[in-house]
Amino acid sequence: MRLPRLLRTTSFRLAAFFALIFGASTVIVGGFVYINVKAALERQERTRIQSDALALKGEFNSGGMRDLMDAIKEREQNKLAGGLDYSLFSANGKRLFGRLPVPKLREGWRHMNGPPDGDEPPGQLEHLLVYSIRLSPDVWLSVGDDIGLLRRLDNTFLQVFVVGLILVMTLAVSGGVAVSAGFLRRIDAITRTAEAIIEGNIGKRVVRDGSGDDLDRLAASLNRMLDRIGALMDALRNVSTDVAHDLRTPLGHLRQQLEDARNRARSTGEYAEAVDNAIAKIDSILETFAAILRIAQIESGSRKAGFQRINLGEIVAGLVQSYSPTAEEQNREITTSIAPDININGDRELIVQLTVNLLDNALRHTPPGTPISIGLFDVAGVATLEIADRGGGVPEAERERILERFYRRETSRTMPGNGLGLNLVSAVAGLHGATLQVLDNMPGLKFRIAFFHLDG
Amino acid sequence: MKLLLVEDDAETAAFVLRGFRERGYALDHVKNGRDGLYLATESIYDVLIVDRMLPVMDGLSMVKALRSANIATPVLFLTTMSGIDDRVEGLDAGGDDYLVKPYAFSELAARVNALARRPPASKEITVLRVGDLEMNLLKRTVTRDGEVIDLQPREFQLLEYLMRRADQLVTRTMLLEGVWDFHFDPRTNIVETHISRLRSKINQGRDKDLIHTVRGSGYCLRAPAATS
Repeated sequence: MRLPRLLRTTSFRLAAFFALIFGASTVIVGGFVYINVKAALERQERTRIQSDALALKGEFNSGGMRDLMDAIKEREQNKLAGGLDYSLFSANGKRLFGRLPVPKLREGWRHMNGPPDGDEPPGQLEHLLVYSIRLSPDVWLSVGDDIGLLRRLDNTFLQVFVVGLILVMTLAVSGGVAVSAGFLRRIDAITRTAEAIIEGNIGKRVVRDGSGDDLDRLAASLNRMLDRIGALMDALRNVSTDVAHDLRTPLGHLRQQLEDARNRARSTGEYAEAVDNAIAKIDSILETFAAILRIAQIESGSRKAGFQRINLGEIVAGLVQSYSPTAEEQNREITTSIAPDININGDRELIVQLTVNLLDNALRHTPPGTPISIGLFDVAGVATLEIADRGGGVPEAERERILERFYRRETSRTMPGNGLGLNLVSAVAGLHGATLQVLDNMPGLKFRIAFFHLDG
Repeated sequence: MKLLLVEDDAETAAFVLRGFRERGYALDHVKNGRDGLYLATESIYDVLIVDRMLPVMDGLSMVKALRSANIATPVLFLTTMSGIDDRVEGLDAGGDDYLVKPYAFSELAARVNALARRPPASKEITVLRVGDLEMNLLKRTVTRDGEVIDLQPREFQLLEYLMRRADQLVTRTMLLEGVWDFHFDPRTNIVETHISRLRSKINQGRDKDLIHTVRGSGYCLRAPAATS
């Protein structure tokens, strides 16, 4: 059987559960109080009756029948002792005095019914609690009291209790229903959004009520997650389009070249040249593929497992040394300022490639003779690597874009390259949890990468 | 020289077999790791060329099994996996070199040659000689015809790599890996600039060039007598 949706909501179930727990605890506490109060009242009543009976026995022992009767009379007139009933019986069971029913002559307590005395509900007998005691071999005393009131307390207690319980349950259940209905309304909103997204309306977001409560925060998280997924999907779409586009062009050129050679080449030498050109073009396409795979591997994060403590200064200094002949050839000056003992947790091979790519970038995109500077220093526990040139720089609007996959500036489109070098730098920085900034070197371009410094 | 090719891809195998046979090498070819392991244990080869992805028994397991049987024949892994970890995995399994497909045949030949002619690891060698060029590995000095040549540490490393493989073709990639520990191709021609520096330093005032450029393939360090 399917329950109505409202009854199946988590919050309603919780409300029902708490109502049940609350009701059960009310019953337990109420029962405990009732039993104890009743016991205490009865105990008090017994003490009163028994002590009076013993007092009367004292009167009888000291003054005989006469004193006893005086004491009873006095009590009945004054009602001092709280309106107890007194009766005397002979040893053969005959009532000598009083109105209590004739008991079996035996010392101790018993409950009895007596004729109505007017304070009980119509049609009911009086409830009496009677204590009997033997005064002498011939005379028995019974002291009793009407405990109908005590009995009727039970009913009152039960009535109050049941009404209270019903009230509690009603409040709990209706509160639960109200809360669940509100909860359902908001969940429905989220479900509708999800359905819309499944239908293909990717831009849809959960409406927030701005209250900042858990559901509102959940909605905010869902929206952020959807934004992130959207961005990743865009990136993925772009990558596949870019890959296709980026490879179509060189493949098209390759095809043209081969067709051209087929039509025009007359000598083996000409064919050989065409084949060499084709191989070079294919190599560059393969290189693009390798770079894409490498970036994908870096972005997958699997290399993190092999992170080790590496000395950044040593790596950078070694690379600068390797690049100095090239720089000299191009009449450039590479100035370095490397602080000692800057260690980071990272992947040596990837850090080498990051630095190499930035150096390559500076060498390739600035005219010969342009100075390059490399700095490595500790800024408040942050290992900061800066590679800067004094070339033409990049306008601010494009600075972030040059890190994108396949992004190539208008000015460098004609140069060989695949537009992946800086994207790889960005991926390596990301893997290392480093921040990568592209800044204005005034003039020129400056890359700043901030790593977590192990000893900083 | 006798080689064993363990490769299941028919096209690649044909390409490699033709290339080596044209150069006068003897080659055996099997298509899976189990047969490869059997042949490599039964016969003596100079170099094993092993594809990573093989049917029945993959290349990695085959080489591991070979090494645990104490067979030290040099192994060159061929692979389509260009992952950074894959190379380390291959070397850890007992491979001696690693080449990612696709590759130029000259690259494969150069690496196979280098493996086949690799001198037994011996710490006794303290002096390398090629013609009148001499390198003292203990004193870290280089002389030509008795005249001291002053080299930067990286240039020294480069020359040592070439001298240890004298008369062999050494490719640009081999130099990048062996001297710089670069397992990628930088855009800047650091190999070329270093070679030209080294060349000008060791050739200074002499007409006999020891470092020969093999167009499109790499370099070869050779004593003048060997060229005639």
